[in-house]
Amino acid sequence: MNLISRISARSPWLYRINAGSCNGCDVELATTACIPRYDVERLGCKYCGSPRHADIVLITGPLTVRVKDKVLRLYGEIPDPKVTVAVGICPISGGVFRGSYAVCAPIDQYIPIDVNVPGCPPRPQAILEGVAMAIEIWKERL
Amino acid sequence: MPESLALLLSVAVFPGGVFALGLGLALKGVDRRLAARLQRRVGPPLMQPFFDLVKLTRKRTMIPDVACRAVFLGAPLAGVVAMLLAAALLPVPGLYEPSPALGDLLVLFYLLAVPAVVLMLAGSASGSPFGAIGFSREMMLMLAYEIPIVLVIVAVGLKTGIGRGEGMTLSLTEIVRYQRAHGAFLLDPAMWPALLAFLAFFPANLGIVPFDIAEAETEVLEGPLLEYSGPALGLFKMMSAAKAVVVLGLGICLFFPSGPDGLPGLAVHALKMLALMAVGVSVLRVSAGRMRIDQAFGFFLKWPLALAVAGVAAAVLA
Repeated sequence: MNLISRISARSPWLYRINAGSCNGCDVELATTACIPRYDVERLGCKYCGSPRHADIVLITGPLTVRVKDKVLRLYGEIPDPKVTVAVGICPISGGVFRGSYAVCAPIDQYIPIDVNVPGCPPRPQAILEGVAMAIEIWKERL
Repeated sequence: MPESLALLLSVAVFPGGVFALGLGLALKGVDRRLAARLQRRVGPPLMQPFFDLVKLTRKRTMIPDVACRAVFLGAPLAGVVAMLLAAALLPVPGLYEPSPALGDLLVLFYLLAVPAVVLMLAGSASGSPFGAIGFSREMMLMLAYEIPIVLVIVAVGLKTGIGRGEGMTLSLTEIVRYQRAHGAFLLDPAMWPALLAFLAFFPANLGIVPFDIAEAETEVLEGPLLEYSGPALGLFKMMSAAKAVVVLGLGICLFFPSGPDGLPGLAVHALKMLALMAVGVSVLRVSAGRMRIDQAFGFFLKWPLALAVAGVAAAVLA
């Protein structure tokens, strides 16, 4: 691994996709994991508003049928190299919505998932650990 | 050294080019760290803007199907070049005086408008509706803050010109020399209205809270920058870093160029920029919320404009 990859890995920008989540995980992502106490910015992370700026994608929700096409299209808009983190139990197995006619979970049938962060919702510490693991994987791809 | 080579060096190495970019990125790093500390966070490393830039070179540049390719890729390049040229136009008090061949304060003023124009072009060329919203907001904001800053420059030019027993001076070199000989305008109460107008102008020009209306990431998803990725986005980051150096440097040259000669003068200059950045950008950024575009428009056509007019009057009468 050369120097440029090592430096690049210190600037992972986060992007959130809500694939039909109940918002529980989104609250954990948007507020709890971002508040001063947990501070993802010390890892060099930054939440970005545009999929084009994203490096690490955080997906929440069981991928409902109605948002499936939009999520897949959005995922295609994210420039390589990228790493995907499934946040919460819903994208991993469907969680409480498992077996419903309205969801397409597990999400890794459609999108390659690199890190799973289970929980309903996961604790902020778990999300931060997931992001840290994603950074390690991202380093290999740069 | 032949004149043309010296000009080239001043644009490409010092005080434009490499130096302006490095200083700008370092200032951004300090700003992010300070903002984090003010919110009781640990914050990113001081070198974070450099890491971001290196990272962006490794990402793929994606061009939307509907975008106008030449303008989409050309706009950020034009912005960076304009800002490096502008940095070479600014004197570093006690160390560097720009060659008259590069231009005077008027040229600098036009170059300062380039980043806003570039953002508008980028926003409209990307073909994204968010870019179009960013375009219209950037244009409104620019129309609002251009008038006060012209008047501030006129006030300082008149003050220097009258002090030297002639009309208006549009040479930054003369303005800096005059203040170093007769005391900084910062300490002259007659110049305070103009100073206050400048202090209101520069957050809007740098596009930070409360005036980051065009690039509001929570409302219009970074507006004109929405469709940019990879190296092209990196060029925008470089442009805004160099712009911070130019705008802060302009403020220092207009109002407070005192300090020692030679290399210590450069250190003092950088420290002044750092202080202005810390108070005017970091503290403001964490303590204020974003204005709406109509509020910002009204604000600039009210207070900074009134202050700038008062500044011109005071410069002539006092």
